[in-house]
Amino acid sequence: MNDFRILTIKASVFADNDARADELRKQLKDDKVFLLNLMSSPGSGKTTTLERTIETIGEELSIGVMEADIDSDVDARTIGETGAKVIQLHTGGMCHLDAQMTSQGLAGLGTEGLDLVVLENVGNLVCPAEFDTGASKNAMILSVPEGDDKPLKYPLMFTICDVLLINKIDAMDFFDFDLEACTRRARALNPDIQVIPICAKTGEGIDRWVTWLKEEIKNWNA
Amino acid sequence: MHELGVVIEVIKTVEQLMKEHQLTEVATIVLQIGELSSMIPRFVQDCYPAAVDGTLLEKTTLEIEILTTNALCQGCGKVYPVVAHQGVCPHCGSTRRELLGGREFLIKEIIAC
Repeated sequence: MNDFRILTIKASVFADNDARADELRKQLKDDKVFLLNLMSSPGSGKTTTLERTIETIGEELSIGVMEADIDSDVDARTIGETGAKVIQLHTGGMCHLDAQMTSQGLAGLGTEGLDLVVLENVGNLVCPAEFDTGASKNAMILSVPEGDDKPLKYPLMFTICDVLLINKIDAMDFFDFDLEACTRRARALNPDIQVIPICAKTGEGIDRWVTWLKEEIKNWNA
Repeated sequence: MHELGVVIEVIKTVEQLMKEHQLTEVATIVLQIGELSSMIPRFVQDCYPAAVDGTLLEKTTLEIEILTTNALCQGCGKVYPVVAHQGVCPHCGSTRRELLGGREFLIKEIIAC
């Protein structure tokens, strides 16, 4: 009879990723590069919002974009046309990026001379919330057609984000989207979350979003 | 469904521990999963046989303990279980709070020889 004993481990399975993420954040801070992790469901307007953002601040700030998708390079081509430096990352079926993949992506992109790097995460409200990428700040987009109940359904995503962009507000009349209820639900999970209604297509609200972003970049480099 | 990738990480970690502690057999792995973790215990159990297939842990059983997540209320300073009360302090009704954990995904212990 073998003599079994209990070994107390208490090791976090995410410890590796968390440690890598902290290391990456420190490196980015030293290099004065602001990394924004942008998350949302597929089709909520991440790429269009990004195009509009680059168009608005592209002359003041040097911007890089990492497009993470399971496959294809359609988003990278679209962003490439804005003049921003862009790299397409393929996750090979993975539903999210972790700190190591982010770090490899940054190395591939080359961050020298960049003020802002946007990581367009895989379109998904579940898994990307679970893995710290090492980003300076987390942002998410929720579009009006998706519904105002999403904070109730995907609480972790709303908990970890610093800013919530509510996109496609031009379509508000066609959907039963209650902006006030959505904001209340998001704040119940995360009292400090900034909620900014925008329309990436028409440019409405983009000034407020860009002001937030510039302020955060300033604080990052302070 | 990202449980499989994470369970494979668990297997790798335990295999490493077996080397470090010169263990020949692991009877049980005990995981602790926080209530706010997006790792669903049932899915972790479901994908476990696939993850251990062909490894040293093929015969090892997996046990999962769920960790209750507490929050520190910023309104009255009391601690309460956040999921059971849906984030509203049962003492003062405030929703301002500091989470005391919740997303844990830990290997608590292994039973081995």
